[in-house]
Amino acid sequence: MLSDVLKEEYIKLNVEVSNWEEAIKEAGTVLKDNGVVNEQYIEEAIKNVKELGPYIVITKGVALPHATNKIGVNKTGISLITLKTPVEFGNKDNDPVYYIFMLATTDMESHISALSSLSELLGKPEFFDVLKNAKDSKSVIDYIKVNEN
Amino acid sequence: MKKGLVMCRTGMGSSLMLKIKLEKIIQENNFPLEIEHDVLSGFMGHHPDVIITMSDLVDEFKDSGCYVIGVKDIMDEEYLTNELKKFFEQSKDEK
Repeated sequence: MLSDVLKEEYIKLNVEVSNWEEAIKEAGTVLKDNGVVNEQYIEEAIKNVKELGPYIVITKGVALPHATNKIGVNKTGISLITLKTPVEFGNKDNDPVYYIFMLATTDMESHISALSSLSELLGKPEFFDVLKNAKDSKSVIDYIKVNEN
Repeated sequence: MKKGLVMCRTGMGSSLMLKIKLEKIIQENNFPLEIEHDVLSGFMGHHPDVIITMSDLVDEFKDSGCYVIGVKDIMDEEYLTNELKKFFEQSKDEK
């Protein structure tokens, strides 16, 4: 389930950044501070976007940055940061990005059920209202716990 | 039963989300389609009827001879459903 890998302490709201690179750094630092990844993983995730393009912006306003599981991942986890001011990733269909879900996974399977829940949640307009209006991380995690399956 | 292949670069983020979404749509519409997913370099091992990938990767498959669906917004169920319907319509004409 999503709440198994996206924990309350992995959520940071209303973060101020000036570009997409800083946004990934912030989301990555949350993972790093919680022992999920190391610095190298964050650099790889940024490198991925530079080399491969902004395909990680998967739907309107939402980016899912990640790198390979082979570098710098200690455990499977997803951080969430919401941006005070949205940033452009260069994805003309889905920019600007307000929400960053940064993914780190140790293997090819451990995150499937979490991504499945996330996919369901991103299909609910109500989830975006919660993200937009949340006063604290707990209210986001409470919503996820009630609505994930 | 047709075989679909979701292609991605690392095979663990966006393409996995796309596969999850497609499986939901396939189930809801009873499409006769099995979905596998792999990274770009693994393409040769599959013999898909249709490739589904993020729109910026579509060009990689233009010489593959496969039917290709490019996706911009993986949460856009209506688009995905319509594109799969178009694929089935077309494959019906070929027989």
